Amino acid sequence: MIFIKKHIPLFICFFVGVLTLGSYYVPNATSENYIEMMNKWENIVAGFAFLLGLMSLFYSHFHKISRKAPGWGYSLFVYVGFLLVVIPAIVSNGQPMKGPDMTSLGWIYRFVFTSLSGTMFAVLAFYIVSTAYRAFRIKSPQAFVLFAAAFMVILGRVPLGQMMWDGVLGWTGYQVTDVIEWLMSVPVVAGRRGIMIGIAIGGIVTALKIIFGIERQYMGKD
Amino acid sequence: MEFLGNTWNAFAAIFTVTPGWMTFGGWVAAGLTICLFSFLYKDNPFFKVAEHLYLGAGMGWLFQVYLFQTWKPKVFLPLMEGQYSVLIPALLGLSLVTQFFPRISWVSRYGFTFIMGYGSGLVIPLTISTDFLKQIGGTIAPFMVSEINSGNIISLLNGTFVAFGFICVLFYFFFSVEHKGAVKKASNIGIYFLMLYFGAAFGNTVMGRFSLLYGRFDDLYKYSAPEYFYATHVVLGLLVAYFILDKLVLSRRGGGQEAH
Repeated sequence: MIFIKKHIPLFICFFVGVLTLGSYYVPNATSENYIEMMNKWENIVAGFAFLLGLMSLFYSHFHKISRKAPGWGYSLFVYVGFLLVVIPAIVSNGQPMKGPDMTSLGWIYRFVFTSLSGTMFAVLAFYIVSTAYRAFRIKSPQAFVLFAAAFMVILGRVPLGQMMWDGVLGWTGYQVTDVIEWLMSVPVVAGRRGIMIGIAIGGIVTALKIIFGIERQYMGKD
Repeated sequence: MEFLGNTWNAFAAIFTVTPGWMTFGGWVAAGLTICLFSFLYKDNPFFKVAEHLYLGAGMGWLFQVYLFQTWKPKVFLPLMEGQYSVLIPALLGLSLVTQFFPRISWVSRYGFTFIMGYGSGLVIPLTISTDFLKQIGGTIAPFMVSEINSGNIISLLNGTFVAFGFICVLFYFFFSVEHKGAVKKASNIGIYFLMLYFGAAFGNTVMGRFSLLYGRFDDLYKYSAPEYFYATHVVLGLLVAYFILDKLVLSRRGGGQEAH
C-alpha cells in the first residue's frame, strides 16, 4: 500500500519535474509540445485546486451557520456575494461586455467587485501610514536611510513634495523626480539584485529538493 | 424544451443592464465603499457585511474565471470532441478534493505531486535565467568594452555604484564566513543598500494604496451627483445616523447598568 500511497506520487513528482526541467534545455518540437501540454494540464489541475479552496471556505462558513456561532449571520453574505457574481456570469456566458453594452457580469464587476476590492486595499493606506508612524523611529543610521528613501518616494510623487523641493533645493537645478529616478535605478537596484539572487538560490534549491523527494512536507502525514 | 427556453430567456431578461441599473449601481458602489470605510471609525455590522460580501464575490469572480477560461474550454469542450486525454489532468485535479475525506485523503497526493513536480521543474530554468543570470548580467553590463568606449562617465559611475552595493549586499547574506574585519564592513554597507530598497518599496506600496484611495474618493464624488440622486450623501448620512443612534443606545444601556 505504501507503494501506491507514497512511492508512485513521489515518482510522478520526480518524473514530471525532470521532464519539465529537461524540456526547457532541449529545444525541439517534442519538448515544446510537452511544455505546452503540461501547461494546459497544470491549468486544469490548478482550477480544481481552486475548487478545493472554495469548498473549504464554504464548508467552514456552513459549519459556522449550522452551529450558530457568534457572527454566523455574516457568513450568509459569503454565499450571497458568491451567487451575486456567479449567476450573472452564467447568464452573461462569462462576458463582461456584449459589444458596446455592459452585461450583468460587467455591472457586478464595475459596481460591486471593483468597489469592494478597491476600498478594501485603500483602507490599508491608513493602516500603513499609522504603522509607519510607529515603526519609523529613527534610532540608527540604517533606520534613517530607510525613512529617507520612503520619504523621498512618497513625497516626491505628490505636488506638495515637488513644491517643497523647489522651495528648498530648487537652486540645485535638479527636480525631485530626477532624484527619485536615480534612487530607483541605482542604489535601490543594488539592494534588489542582492535579494533577488538570494531568493533565486533559495528557490532553485527548494525546487531540487522537491523534485528529488527530499522535501515532502506538502504531501502531509502518512 | 420550448418552455425551458422561454423560461431561461425571461430569466436572462431580468439581468439586462438598463440606465436604471446604472443609477442603482452608483448606490451599490457608494454603499459598499462607505460601509468598508466605516471600519476606520470602528468595527460595525455594515463593515462585516461588506467584508463577507467581498470574500464571496472574490471567490465568485475566480469561480467564473475558472469556469469560462479553464473548465469549459479546456475540459468540457475537448471531452465533447472526444479528446479523452484531458481526463488525466481532470482526474488529478479531482483527486485534490479527496482532502475532505480522511480515509482516502492520500489520493490527493497524486494531484499535489503533479503540481509540485511541474512547478519545480519550471521554476528552476526560469529563475536561473531571470532572477540569477540577468541580474548578474545587468551588473556587469556597464563595464563592457562597448559601454566604456561610448565614454558615458555617468553611466559608468552609476554602474560601479550598483556593483559595489550589490557585492556588499551579497556579503550580508553570505554566512559561510564569519562576519568580521573587511567582510563585516562590506556587510554593514550592504545593510544601507537593503534599507534603501526596503524604504523605496515601502514608499511605492504606500503610493499604490493611496492611488486606490483617490480612485475610491473619485467614485464617491461621482456618485454624489444629482443623476445618482446624491447616493454618497444619503448613504453617508444614514451611516452617521446609525452611529449616533448606536452611541445613544449604548450610553443609555451603560447608564442603566450603572443605575442598577
